[in-house]
Amino acid sequence: MELPENPNKDSNGYESAEKIILRWDSTASEDAREKMIFETNPHEADLYLQAVDEIQRFLSHASISNNAAASTDDQLKVNSTIQIAMARLEDEFRNILMTNSSASLFDPSSSFSTSSHHELEEDDTVSNEDSSHNGLLQLQHCESSDSSTYRSTSSIREVDLMPGEAISDLQAIATRMISSGYLRECIQMYGSVRKSAIDSSFRKLGIEKLSIGDIQRLEWEALESKIRRWIRAAKVCVRILFASEKKLCELIFECVGTDIDDACFMETVKGPAIQLFNFAEAISISRGSPEKLFKILDLHDALMDLLPDIEAVFVSKSSDSIRVQAAEILSRLAEAARGILSEFESVILREPSRVPVPGGAIHPLTRYVMNYISLISDYKQTLIELILSKPSTGSRYSGDQSTPDMEFAELEGKTPLALYLIWIIVVLQFNLEGKSKHYRDASLAHLFIMNNVHYIVQKVKGSPELREMIGDDYLRKLTGKFRQAATSYQRATWVSVLYCLRDEGLHVSGSFSSGVSKSALRERFKTFNAMFEEVHRTQATCLIADTQLREELRISISEKLIPAYR
Amino acid sequence: MTGTDTQSSFLGRISIRRNQVNAMDGSHEQEIEDLDLFQKQVSDRFAEILSAPDDTPFDAFLSISWIRKLLDVFLGCEAECKAILLMGRDAAQISKPPLDRLIPELLDRVVKALDICNAIANGLELVRHCQKLAEIAVLALEQKPFGEGQSKRAKKALVSLISAMHLDDKEGSAHKTTDRNWSFGRRGGNKDRPLFGHYKSLSWQVARNWSASKQIHAMTMNVVPPRGPEASGLPSLIFIMNLIMVFVMWVLIAAIPCQERNGLTTHLPIPKNVNWTHTLTGLLEKIGDEWKKKEKKGMAGLLFEMQKMEKLGQSLIDFTDSFQYPGEKDKVEEAAKQVAELAEVCQRMEEGLGPLQMLIREVFHRLVRSRTEILDVLDQGAKSSAPLV
Repeated sequence: MELPENPNKDSNGYESAEKIILRWDSTASEDAREKMIFETNPHEADLYLQAVDEIQRFLSHASISNNAAASTDDQLKVNSTIQIAMARLEDEFRNILMTNSSASLFDPSSSFSTSSHHELEEDDTVSNEDSSHNGLLQLQHCESSDSSTYRSTSSIREVDLMPGEAISDLQAIATRMISSGYLRECIQMYGSVRKSAIDSSFRKLGIEKLSIGDIQRLEWEALESKIRRWIRAAKVCVRILFASEKKLCELIFECVGTDIDDACFMETVKGPAIQLFNFAEAISISRGSPEKLFKILDLHDALMDLLPDIEAVFVSKSSDSIRVQAAEILSRLAEAARGILSEFESVILREPSRVPVPGGAIHPLTRYVMNYISLISDYKQTLIELILSKPSTGSRYSGDQSTPDMEFAELEGKTPLALYLIWIIVVLQFNLEGKSKHYRDASLAHLFIMNNVHYIVQKVKGSPELREMIGDDYLRKLTGKFRQAATSYQRATWVSVLYCLRDEGLHVSGSFSSGVSKSALRERFKTFNAMFEEVHRTQATCLIADTQLREELRISISEKLIPAYR
Repeated sequence: MTGTDTQSSFLGRISIRRNQVNAMDGSHEQEIEDLDLFQKQVSDRFAEILSAPDDTPFDAFLSISWIRKLLDVFLGCEAECKAILLMGRDAAQISKPPLDRLIPELLDRVVKALDICNAIANGLELVRHCQKLAEIAVLALEQKPFGEGQSKRAKKALVSLISAMHLDDKEGSAHKTTDRNWSFGRRGGNKDRPLFGHYKSLSWQVARNWSASKQIHAMTMNVVPPRGPEASGLPSLIFIMNLIMVFVMWVLIAAIPCQERNGLTTHLPIPKNVNWTHTLTGLLEKIGDEWKKKEKKGMAGLLFEMQKMEKLGQSLIDFTDSFQYPGEKDKVEEAAKQVAELAEVCQRMEEGLGPLQMLIREVFHRLVRSRTEILDVLDQGAKSSAPLV
C-alpha cells in the first residue's frame, strides 16, 4: 500500500505499526482469531501496544498536517486501522477480564472465617457446601496509594481480585482505548464481565433472587435462616466484594480520571447492589408478628452497622439511589419493630383463652410474655433508640373496663422502653385478673394470681437489665401483690376449715369449765374432717411451682392451722 | 346530591338503590358523594393523558414521558382512593363484609404490584443498556470523515443493540443468534461467547420462576364489579382501585422489558357497559393489538423509544453492512437523518429514564405506605374489639 506523503519522519514506524495491527485483524485470518496476544506472549503484547501508540500519534499528526487533500484519505485509512486495533484490544480486554474473573480466584464464602463478627461461627450450610472451592483465596491488604479517602472505614477490606499483571495489562489496553475515543465500549465490556463475576459470587454467598411475594409466603423459620444468611452475606458484599471491585476499577483506570472508574464501578455493581437490598426491603415491608421482632432487630442492627461502609463505597452521585434505598430500608425496619411492639401489647391484652389452668399454675401466656420481655431487654441498646414515645395507655380515668390503666407518677425519669416494659407487665396482669375470674373456686383464683405474679417477679429479678429498667419500686409493688394474693388464698382455702375449729358454739352456756357439748363437738369434728379431706383433695391438685413459695405457704398455713387444731 | 350525574352510569346503577335505602345517615350519603366524585376524577384524568396532542412526537403514546404521565395519574387516583377509604373511618367500618374479603384481596394485589415495580426497575436497566449501545453507534456514525472503520464500529454496536432487544424474556437467554455477532473474538472451544458478554450480564435480577404474565393474570383474578346490595359505597371504590392498579401495571409490563412476558394477557376485567371505562378499554385494545403483533417476533417492549430505536437500528445495520467509502449519496443522507433521529431518541432516554426510575420507586413507596396504613387501621380494630376477659 502506498504511503501518503508525510512530514513525519516516522513514516516507517507507521508502516510497520500498521502491519502489526493488520496481522492481528481477527476478521482477516483464522490464526489471528484463534490466538490472544496478551495471553501468549508479553513481548508480542508490548509490540502491539507500541504499534497502537504509533498509529495514534500518526493520526494526531495527520489531522494537523497541512496536506489537506490527502489527509481525508489518510484519516480514513488510519481510522480503519485504529478500528481494527480497537476491535482487537476489546477482545483482548475481555479475554483478560474473563480469564481473571473466574470464580476460583476469589472465594467470598471463605471470607467468612476472616471476618471478625462472632455471628459467623454459626453453622452455615452454604459455606460448608462450597468448601470444596476454598482454594486460592488471597486476602491481601491493598498496598496501593492512599488517594481514596474512603478506606477510613476500618471494617472495609479490599482484596485483590486479579493478579497485578492482569491489572497492568488491562490498564495498558484501557488507556489506548480511551485515548482513541473508545471509552464507551470499554465501560460496557468491563461492566458486563465483572457483573457476571459478581453474580457468581452472589450465588456462592447464598444470596437468592426472591420476590416479595415469595418472601411473604415463606414459613417464619425458613425466613429466619435466610435473614441470618443475608446478614452475613451483606457484610461480605459491602465490605469486601464491592469495595474490592471499586478498588479494581480505580487501579485499571488509574491514569484516566475518577469519573471513568466510577462509571465502570456503577456499571458493574449497581444491579447486584439493588438485588441485595431488595431482600432486606422485602423483609422491612412484611407485617411482623411478635416472634419476628428479634430477627427484624438483628437486620436493623446489621444494616445500621453497614451504613457507614455503604456510604463510603457508594460515594458518587450516580449511586445516590443505593444509599437512599439503604436508608429507607433502615427506617422501615425501625417502623416494623415499633409496630410489632405495639401489636404485642394488643396480643397480650386480647389473649382470649378462658379455660382455667388446672391447679392455678403458671399460665403459658405469662411464661411467653416474660421470656419475650427478657429477650427484649437483651436488645436494649437498639430499642432505646427506636422507641421514642411512651406507650399509649388509654386514659387513666376513662373507667373503661376493657383496658388497664397505669399511674405514671412514680415512673418519672424512665426511658420509654422501660415504661413500655412496665406497661406490658401491667397489661399482662390485667389479662390474668380476667382469667382468674374463670375459676369457680375462689381460693384457686387467688392461687393463680399468686403463682403468676410470683413468676413475673422471679423473671425480673433474674435478669439484671430487666430489673434495672423495671426498677425496684415497681418490683416491690409486684411483690406486695403476690403476697397479698397468698394471704387471700390461705384465707379462702382454710377459712371454712378453721371455722370448724372455732370456739364459739361449742361451749355449753353457763359454765366456765371447758365443758363442751359432746355431740356438737363430734359434729364439728366430723365436719372438720370432711372439709379437711375436701380441702386436701383440692389442694393436692393445686400447683405451686416455686418450691420456696410452697414452703413459705406451707409454713404459714400450718402456723395458722395447728394452733387452731390444738 | 349527585343523582343526576351524567357520568356515573356505573355507579348510576346503584343510584336507584340509593334512593331505596331508607335508614340512611349522613355519612353514607357522604360516602356516595365521595365515590361519585372520585370516579369522575378518574375518568377525567385518564381521558386527559389520552387526548394529549401529538405534535410533540416524543410525548407520543407509550413514550417515556407518556408513561410518566400515566404513573402520575395513578398516584393521584391512589391517593384519593386511600383518603376516601380511610378518612374518618374506623376499623369496624372497613372490616364488615364484603370488605373483609375485598380489602385483604386488594392488599394482596398491592404486594404483587410491588414485585412488578421491582421487575420494571430492572427492565429499565436493560433500556439504559440499549441506550448506551445506541450512543456508541451514534458516536461512530457521526464521525467525519465517515469511513469503513467507523462503519464497522457502528455496526458492531448496533448488532449488540438489536440482540439485546431480542433477548428472550426467559432468564435473559438469547432468542436468536445471528452470525454477524460472532465475527470477532472467538476462541477455540468457546464459540458461543458473545460480544460484550452481555447475555449473562443482563440476566434478570428477579426471582427465577417469576413471570410477569402470570403475575398480571393472578392480579386479575376476582376483580369483578360488585353486585347487589353490596354495590354501593366502598366495594365499588375498591373495584375501581383494583382496576386502575391492574391496568397501570399491565401497561408497564407491555412497555418495558421484564422477565417472562410470554402469553401476556390482553384481556383485563374492565366492564364495558360503563361510561368512564371507555378510555381504559380503548387503551387496552390499542396496546393489546400492538402487543399481539409484535409478540411473535420477540421484542423488548412497546416503549415508543425502544420501538423507534429498533427500527432505526435495523435500518442502520443495513446501511453499514453495505457501506463502502464514500458511499452512495442518497443512502448516506438517509443514514444521516436516521442517525440524528437515533441521537434524539438517546437524548430523550437520557433525560427521561432517570425520572421514570424515580417515579417507579415512588409508586412502590406509595403502595407500601397505603398498605401499611390500611393494615394499621385493621389492627386497631382487632385491638379494640377485644373480647372482655
